[in-house]
Amino acid sequence: MKDQIGGNQKRARFEAMCQSLRPDLLRFAFWLSRDRALAEDVVQETMLRAWKAQDSLQDEAAAKPWFLTIIRREYARCFERKRFVTVDVDELVAREEPMLAAAEGQNLAEMRAALFKLPDEYREPLVMQVLMGFSTAEIARELDLSGAAVLTRLFRARKQLRVLCGEDTSMDPQE
Amino acid sequence: MMDCAQYRRSMLADPRDPDPHLREHRESCHDCTLYSERLLRFESRLERALRVGPVSQAASSFDNVVPLRARSRTALRAPAYRKRMLAMAASVLVALVVAGGLWLSAAGASLAADVVTHMREEPQAWRRTDVPVPYPKLDEVLRDSHLRLAAGGGAGMVSYANSCGFRGHQVPHLVLQTDAGPVTVMVLVHERSPKPVQFDEQGYRGVIVPVPGHGSLAVLTRGPATDIETIEHIAHRVLDSIFWTG
Repeated sequence: MKDQIGGNQKRARFEAMCQSLRPDLLRFAFWLSRDRALAEDVVQETMLRAWKAQDSLQDEAAAKPWFLTIIRREYARCFERKRFVTVDVDELVAREEPMLAAAEGQNLAEMRAALFKLPDEYREPLVMQVLMGFSTAEIARELDLSGAAVLTRLFRARKQLRVLCGEDTSMDPQE
Repeated sequence: MMDCAQYRRSMLADPRDPDPHLREHRESCHDCTLYSERLLRFESRLERALRVGPVSQAASSFDNVVPLRARSRTALRAPAYRKRMLAMAASVLVALVVAGGLWLSAAGASLAADVVTHMREEPQAWRRTDVPVPYPKLDEVLRDSHLRLAAGGGAGMVSYANSCGFRGHQVPHLVLQTDAGPVTVMVLVHERSPKPVQFDEQGYRGVIVPVPGHGSLAVLTRGPATDIETIEHIAHRVLDSIFWTG
């Protein structure tokens, strides 16, 4: 009986955690993979792995980076399992158009199309910083880079994004 | 002492970096202040762009993420039972979606009705003028809601600013002078709107747009002269000119 109550509490806690984190995890997976269906698969598999490994999460406050690590591993596994063909970015934008344009103005649709065009190594830390709220040190730890390398990638990401979005870059610094 | 290139490089890497050296440079350099404001506007757009809508709600049920081993073995052994349960679950899901949709529409409509009612209480705010509200007054109204408006009047000149009681909270009530005439903006940081809502009632036409992490924004005009697309466009211009400070 006691075990059952403990199990229910554990399940309820895990459920609450999953539900609160899921939207951002899906967004992260979407920007990582640029594919809605793949993002769903990756997050679904992540939740399963997280459920199995939940005892390894000592501190619930650290749940976000913990889930993110699992997502990145799961996404890498997808690459090992499947051989992805190179897809034209314009094709990707057209395919994901309903999601990119979701109820917002043309301005945001343009920004999303530009994000699709960013190289993965720049898009990923940018999404971690802006969407997930990670510090430079946390990104560095997750991507196994130095803090300076992360800052360089973030700098280049924004610089390229601004050009792609047609922003006035006359005041932007050179590298 | 930090120079402009160093400052801008740091800002491009992390526009929200609280480093005091960056603040010190910004406060002493007019060009870099302008640069920061533009960059923060861009950052706000980037944040909103990254918050794509939910990929799918269908997979959000926790039962979909718990391993099969944790579920009832009876269900796994009996396909007919499982089918019935799936059918029931589907019916419940459909009912929830319909009820949720109706509830959301009702909630949106009720928020719009409250905004319109509030407008009727402050008719003096609507006048057409070319006199801006004094900056200290505007700053005081915005400060409590942890926001600032970009310098340069990208969203239109602010001719009226008041901190108004609305649904138990003090919220900024602004009037902007735009090409389409006076437009009222209410920053509803405590009111979440899951999706954009358009309304046209009691002589007021407007939109309520969700602002991820900061509630919603109501923008409206008086009379039938301005079409809803123009109001939506103004709402997005206002959103682009807001800097959240908390």
